[in-house]
Amino acid sequence: MAKQEKEKSMGNTVISTGIVIDGEVSGEEPLTVLGTVKGKISTTQTLEVEPGATVEADIEAQSLSIGGRVTGNVNARERVEVRSNGKMIGDIKTPRIVIADGAAFKGNVDMDV
Amino acid sequence: MADNVTIIGAETLVSGEIRGDQNILVRGRIDGRVSITSTLTVEDGAILQADVDAEAVLISGVVVGNVSASGHVRLSSKARVVGDVTAPRVIVESGAAYRGRLEMGEVGTTAASRSASRRASESEGAEVPGRALPRVQSPSRAVSVSGSPAVRPATPPRVATANRPAPPSLPRVSAAGGDAARPAWSKKKLHRRR
Repeated sequence: MAKQEKEKSMGNTVISTGIVIDGEVSGEEPLTVLGTVKGKISTTQTLEVEPGATVEADIEAQSLSIGGRVTGNVNARERVEVRSNGKMIGDIKTPRIVIADGAAFKGNVDMDV
Repeated sequence: MADNVTIIGAETLVSGEIRGDQNILVRGRIDGRVSITSTLTVEDGAILQADVDAEAVLISGVVVGNVSASGHVRLSSKARVVGDVTAPRVIVESGAAYRGRLEMGEVGTTAASRSASRRASESEGAEVPGRALPRVQSPSRAVSVSGSPAVRPATPPRVATANRPAPPSLPRVSAAGGDAARPAWSKKKLHRRR
């Protein structure tokens, strides 16, 4: 049941555990990262960085949810959420942000105020 | 969908290198290089402009680049492939379009052993003119390279029949498949990163 829900929430593009991408990922559909991406990620949809995932990249997305480890600058058009098991190092530029209790974050936040 | 499948969705472009030990399913586009220790599946509609190194490679889309597998390579009826293919077992289904050099048999998957075997085959004389004029090797040659007897009955004749007629019009990557059905990015001009 839980597994089904997880699959439902997964994006159309999935970078699974055990996979390393060195370069640029760009697209126009939801993206889920469980593995490692180094370089740059840009999507016009949501990006989910799941627990266990490592992203060392500059990120552009509509919304971003961080459960894993992200190093890089983030620009999200709608929102950024750093979940309780998420670790984020870098600057965030977004109109709405959520940082959960237990999350780790180091960097600047620019909410256009 | 199994947990350990990486999917590159239809509207996603990855440019750069992909490494790992999990299966990868490509519906979108990859520019660069793929090097994994399991199965790479290139679905109909996907475009790979990449060198591929995997355990098994199943192609139904467009691949431009050299493909090397430690297991087998299957070009299905919708495959469009330009590049060298190296694998112990190669299956080319009727309808597939292929241009390149095909090497079967017990060939290692490392670049070193590939280039070593290439040097060896080139030194055999004028029969193989070199990379400038890629062509499919004759089945008899492929058998002589093959070390696995189980492969012999099935694969070489298929290669022969599938490739004897004038090769189908070769894949022009940008024009492959229905243009209308493609996402906007795939209509852009192909380019290599850097």
